[in-house]
Amino acid sequence: MERIILDVDSAGDDILAVLFAAISPSMKLEGVTTCTGAAGPIDQVTNVVLNTLALAGKGDVPVAKGAWRPIVGNSKEDMQAPVHFEKRLVARFGDRLKKFNPPAPTPTLKVIDKHAVDFIIDTALANPGEITLVVTGPMTNAAMAFLQEPALARALKRMVLLGGNFITPGNITPLSEYNIWADPEAARVVLNQGVDTILVPLDVCEDNRAAASMLTRDDLADLKDAGDHPVLQMIQDSFPIYIDIWREFFDLVGFPMDDIITVALAFDPTLCTMTEPLFCDIVLDGRVARGQTVAYRGRQLLPGGGPKTTRICTDIDGRRFMKLFKETIVRYQTAKA
Amino acid sequence: MTTTDLNSIRPTPILLDCDPGHDDAIALVMAHRSKAIDLLGVTVTCGNAEPEKTVSNTLRILEFIGAEDVPVAAGCVRPLARPLVLGTADGPSGLEGSPYLPQATKKVEPMHAVDFIAKTLREQEEPLRIVATGPLCNLGLFVLKYPELLSKIKDITWMGGVFWRKSEYITPTEFNAFCDPEALKIVLDSGVPITMVGLDVTMKVLVEEAQYREFEKIDTELGRVVLDWLKFYEKLHRNSMGVGGALHDPLALALIIDPTLVKTRPAHIGVDLTGTYTFGATVADYWNERGLPPNAQVCEEVDSDRFFDLLYSLLRD
Repeated sequence: MERIILDVDSAGDDILAVLFAAISPSMKLEGVTTCTGAAGPIDQVTNVVLNTLALAGKGDVPVAKGAWRPIVGNSKEDMQAPVHFEKRLVARFGDRLKKFNPPAPTPTLKVIDKHAVDFIIDTALANPGEITLVVTGPMTNAAMAFLQEPALARALKRMVLLGGNFITPGNITPLSEYNIWADPEAARVVLNQGVDTILVPLDVCEDNRAAASMLTRDDLADLKDAGDHPVLQMIQDSFPIYIDIWREFFDLVGFPMDDIITVALAFDPTLCTMTEPLFCDIVLDGRVARGQTVAYRGRQLLPGGGPKTTRICTDIDGRRFMKLFKETIVRYQTAKA
Repeated sequence: MTTTDLNSIRPTPILLDCDPGHDDAIALVMAHRSKAIDLLGVTVTCGNAEPEKTVSNTLRILEFIGAEDVPVAAGCVRPLARPLVLGTADGPSGLEGSPYLPQATKKVEPMHAVDFIAKTLREQEEPLRIVATGPLCNLGLFVLKYPELLSKIKDITWMGGVFWRKSEYITPTEFNAFCDPEALKIVLDSGVPITMVGLDVTMKVLVEEAQYREFEKIDTELGRVVLDWLKFYEKLHRNSMGVGGALHDPLALALIIDPTLVKTRPAHIGVDLTGTYTFGATVADYWNERGLPPNAQVCEEVDSDRFFDLLYSLLRD
């Protein structure tokens, strides 16, 4: 039973990651922390999490609100691009796009009276060697936590981070993956802590080489037969448009499950093939390369680098992952109140 | 402007964020001794020395001057996005020249500086003034963590930055800005009014022979310690710039007591994060070419003599 803290920015796959983590028999979700990112401002991100947990009947999971802005970030227009990118597809999908990242209604659940950074620090320090920090959005909260409490690095068991790209082109710029790009300074702080880390790049989720791990209408059909729990209904209702956007815009065979893969790796690292532990750095000052993730592989003449503690996923057993996702998510039906 | 009777007004409550440092130390002395200031707490950052030393120095100074009741909170141990580069003016301990200051028995608050700032702001009815005399690591992290409390900060008087003036000093960067430019950017973008007390004015409050003669007249234990600090502190200035010690941080603190010591000009200022030689350089848009509203009052001129008179009087009385 892995004890995890899940730090999210409430894009579509974050919602599935929260649902997956909250019902998985293989992990205890100690809490969810929120960070400004792909879904927009921090209140939207946080309300989506609260509403998701309410839908799941998991109101006992603590939710702590976190960073409202990145350390440096990028231009305002660029930062808002992920929130509104579907507008470029409006001619193709019309009103169906209203189901993409809709404004969250006022939640019935409440956040705890503690900043996400303090929740991460306090939980990890109170349970040394026990807590895996899973980050599926920009790494601002994690970076702030390491900056505020240097002892956090020794207290965490592991980190599993969604971010970066090595073979697959970036999804926000040609070289950069969104989570890293959205707060490159934070990612660099986090990757330099010397914590045992698994990095989940786009290569194993937003690439048709990982097609078997993507959510398709076949998978929705499978889930349709599984029952009518509100969580399962929501997935049937909300995710066809996500599948279509990622087919249309990114030329993928389905909706990539980045964040759920990242969560699953916290308890089953065998889902992915990984590199040896190596040092991973981030390009901060490049213009077109800002946010690029650099793995210290091979042999170079110049010395350099940092802690060799990050294993990068290079391949995924997509069919086994998707089977795991569906088996886990249908537990809502049997766990139904 | 008429002379203000400093005894007739309510002392201004402030928080001081610092990295002692000799000139921070003198600012601490001034804050404690001025009747115009109510020092609610001191938060400490890395900068002039390693964080454990700046914290230790703060505690030693406060205990030595009888300010042991002022709470101290330790803060950031590194800049937000860069490795720590130490200042060089203050020697290895950050407070060379005063080996006889005893180790403090006083302890730090059981919380991080940013949480102490948040707690203090919540306890105050009125928005609070903050004086920052080091790299802005703590205030940057505070802005990231507590956006809801920004309206409770009345303003930040920050010692740092410089606008290059030909033939005066050939540096586009000042240490506090250079040490954590990302934190400075966060603070500049926060919407909190800032008074920038840069090298443009602080390099004009120099301790030269005339000033030494006045300091030497202050025949108290405190006066002698300050003199020892100044004698060590001037070395870097004397050797590299050929001038006496510049009282950067004390000038920032003094502006709480008497804002008429400087002339200021509003401007939108930014900080360079990526230049080869110029990261940490402050840039002022005086012509408003970017069309952004001013985020700072930039100090442009200073009355050095009146500043020193204020400092002497605080050390004497």
